Amino acid sequence: MKHSLFRPAEMAVLLAVALVIVPLLFYLPFWLPALVELMLLLRACLLLRHSRLPGLAVLLPLLVLAAAGVWLNLNTLIGREGGAALLILLLGFKVFESRQQRDWQVVLALGFFLSAIPLLFDQSPWSALWLVISLLALTWAMLRLAGDIPSGSARTAVQALLLSLPLMLVLFVVMPRLPGPLWSMPHDSHTAQTGLSDSMEPGSISQLVQREDAAFSVVFAGQAPAVSQMYWRIMILDDFDGRRWQNVHGLQQETVQLQGGQLVRYRLTGKPVRSRLPLLEYPLQAPGGGVLEPGRLLRLASDSDDAVRIDAASLLGSHYRQSLSQSDQDFYRRLPPGNPASRQLAMQWRMQSQDDAGFVHEALLHFRLNGYRYTLTPPLLEGDNSTDAFLFSTRQGFCEHYASAFAFLARAAGIPARVVTGYQGAQYNPVGRFWQVRSSDAHAWVEVWLKESGEWLRVDPTAAVAPQRVSDGVSQSIPSLQPAVPLMGSRIPGWLLPLQQSWQAAGFAWQQWVVGYDAARQLNLYRLLGLGEAVDAAAVLRALLFGGALGLLPLLWWWRRRPAMAPLQVGRNLLVAALQCHGIAILPSDGPLDMMNKAAHLPKDVRVLLKQLLKEYAAMRYRHAELPARQVQAWLGQVRRFAQQARKQRRHS
Amino acid sequence: MQSLSLAYRQLNTLILGKSRAVRLALTCLIARGHLLIEDVPGVGKTTLAHGLAAVLGLHYQRVQFTSDLLPADILGVNIYQRETGTFRFHQGPVFSQLLLADEINRASPKVQSALLEAMEERQVSIDGESHPLPQPFFVIATQNPSEQLGTFPLPESQLDRFLMRISLGYPAADAERALLLGQDRRSLLADMTPCLQGDGLLQLQQKAAALTVTADLADYVLALLQATRQESSFLSGLSPRAGLALLSAARAWAMLEGRDHVLPEDVKAIFPAVAGHRLGLTGDATASLTALLDHVAIP
Repeated sequence: MKHSLFRPAEMAVLLAVALVIVPLLFYLPFWLPALVELMLLLRACLLLRHSRLPGLAVLLPLLVLAAAGVWLNLNTLIGREGGAALLILLLGFKVFESRQQRDWQVVLALGFFLSAIPLLFDQSPWSALWLVISLLALTWAMLRLAGDIPSGSARTAVQALLLSLPLMLVLFVVMPRLPGPLWSMPHDSHTAQTGLSDSMEPGSISQLVQREDAAFSVVFAGQAPAVSQMYWRIMILDDFDGRRWQNVHGLQQETVQLQGGQLVRYRLTGKPVRSRLPLLEYPLQAPGGGVLEPGRLLRLASDSDDAVRIDAASLLGSHYRQSLSQSDQDFYRRLPPGNPASRQLAMQWRMQSQDDAGFVHEALLHFRLNGYRYTLTPPLLEGDNSTDAFLFSTRQGFCEHYASAFAFLARAAGIPARVVTGYQGAQYNPVGRFWQVRSSDAHAWVEVWLKESGEWLRVDPTAAVAPQRVSDGVSQSIPSLQPAVPLMGSRIPGWLLPLQQSWQAAGFAWQQWVVGYDAARQLNLYRLLGLGEAVDAAAVLRALLFGGALGLLPLLWWWRRRPAMAPLQVGRNLLVAALQCHGIAILPSDGPLDMMNKAAHLPKDVRVLLKQLLKEYAAMRYRHAELPARQVQAWLGQVRRFAQQARKQRRHS
Repeated sequence: MQSLSLAYRQLNTLILGKSRAVRLALTCLIARGHLLIEDVPGVGKTTLAHGLAAVLGLHYQRVQFTSDLLPADILGVNIYQRETGTFRFHQGPVFSQLLLADEINRASPKVQSALLEAMEERQVSIDGESHPLPQPFFVIATQNPSEQLGTFPLPESQLDRFLMRISLGYPAADAERALLLGQDRRSLLADMTPCLQGDGLLQLQQKAAALTVTADLADYVLALLQATRQESSFLSGLSPRAGLALLSAARAWAMLEGRDHVLPEDVKAIFPAVAGHRLGLTGDATASLTALLDHVAIP
């Protein structure tokens, strides 16, 4: 009876906050958001059945217990994960002590705060979409709580959000940006890094290839090069221990000369992995915000792994000339003992060929003609002589097998060689007019140093085995891959392809224009508007503060104008609340006599007191135009006591 | 004040079970307004008018309106005196303190407007000569809502001249039984004693007009007026004159309640009677007005 007035609105609040924390199911340990959702459901059941709420003596130990669970699971209660976990836990417990309308308003406010938290974990369009849904639900619930009618509040919620859209856009554009993301937080241990690693052993790249996520996207300034020419270099692996290739940073500096080639300019957007981003071979100079390490590899200055955008220029198909000293040459020829058959084969080719280029030709011919197969699921190579086993018995492998074997052969023949990892190829998205490179484009190949010309030459033995890998991409070259990667190339029905491309394009635009809108872009915009350097962060902040203060002026005016009637209005509200405690609903259209009539069935002592208070109220409001302040305050004090009494009575009953 | 409650009690013994309508009628007269009673024949319209005249000690005339009635039949006429060779004015029935205009919608618009002009001006002009009407002057008009054949319904601008429109309706069962078993109404009327002497009523009217209305109450009346103007189910909202009418009626009602100040409840009590005919609502369509009262918050 007493709660029936607000029940649907309270349900709306529970529903809205339940929606808000749904994305956290993916980012926090699953049990925690699931537990909170369960608590919300339980609260809704209690609401329906008008059951008593558990007391503080029950809630407090449970809260401590749950917080301890979070601590054991995450080892912290602060930071991105810990803070979010603690907040939703508090939300789950807050609803169990929510009785008054004000409590539910607190729950709603917490819901609005929580709705932004998924953005700390993921800034994709999906998160933005969910944020909009959450805000709509919360605004709707807020309107319901304020007593709006059910059908009207949905429309009003949409209207309110639409009305706030221009302000949101203005703030998005002018709000000063911190250099770097606002929430650069330390990453938590259990989020695995994706991308190419520092080392390569059989299986490391084929794992990557089975992932369908986007690695980075590229927009070329002019004509895009042929797909088979797109070799994106990330890492050079120069040391082999018989099984694994890794980077030991053999060279500290180098003098390189790039000769010939075609200049290609492009803009690349992607998330760096360990400060590395791939560049098309061979980069002309270091793009802004990074340096070129020996081997012409890009390393970014910042170690954040948030998506960045770089403008780069490469000389495609140029000659990579470098003079290697004798010790450097020896470094690139080091091999561990073992694999005698492979060594013998290498020596045999060495004898047959006139120079290093001839050796390369011989080796590629061998891969092409001797029944090697390109597959994601090669047999396991065991024992110390894994290269022998691959070259002479299994003859099945993926790019890492071929690159590893080729580099071994070259080194065995005395030719300096190194393995390069990165990506090969790209897919064009006609909707967004950009090139998308995916994890499945990960690749490994070899560079050998030719003594005669003093240049590093790229050799891709995989291309000798499966030429279509380089020309058409991975999914075309391995039939067995297709079921494992459902969303790849040819597996998508024709009618779905435009849809997929549109989605990719939307993601690209989102990354470019929303997530990637940083301090530099903002400054560019100001320059474009002719504001130049005059507008710095401090100026914008001052303007925002000033504007905010101006916006507060009407509020101040209203506040100052308000008090004339205030004490009587406060008193009336208190009386209405007190009568509500007695189970009497008072409408805004009820006058003092109406209130008295509605209270006719109350016990006599209450009624007499109420009658006297209402009589004084009527006299003050409708008899004397001028109010003696002391009299009003005395009356208000009496009303307060009356309301207190009513509350106490309700608690007892 | 005592005399007023005595008058009220006497009227209630005459008209049984209709205390609210009686109270409204009394309120209307104290607020110096004219009254329109809309009802079927035989529910006591004429008896109420008679009773009011009797208890208030007013001079009373009754005119049965028909379609062949002429303005002169009500207002009076100048007659040539052969003896003196001049015209002498013969007063019509309008020269009374309380005029009962029975079935006012049966008369032609010409007669209606002549009467309504007299109601507004409280004087009669014939052949360029003004004749003031007695003080106080009330018109209680009746009309039958169900018989529409051969009638001239009052236009809205003239309905506005009436402060209130009420209907008596059939009495409740026990009241009707008491009526059947009780004395003849005519002899009851003859037994009525006037409760007010001389200018007693005028004094009451002045006293009512002086009742306190605070700004808060005016705000409430304002909110009601605004609400009628914004509500789409009404043809047009209430006029500022209607607002003044609301206030004077509420003052009279508050005085009948024995208070020296007006409460929102007083406004609510008289609102359907004062606003109903001004908003073009027919007969009992007061449900929308009650809904409006429930809807408008007291500021």
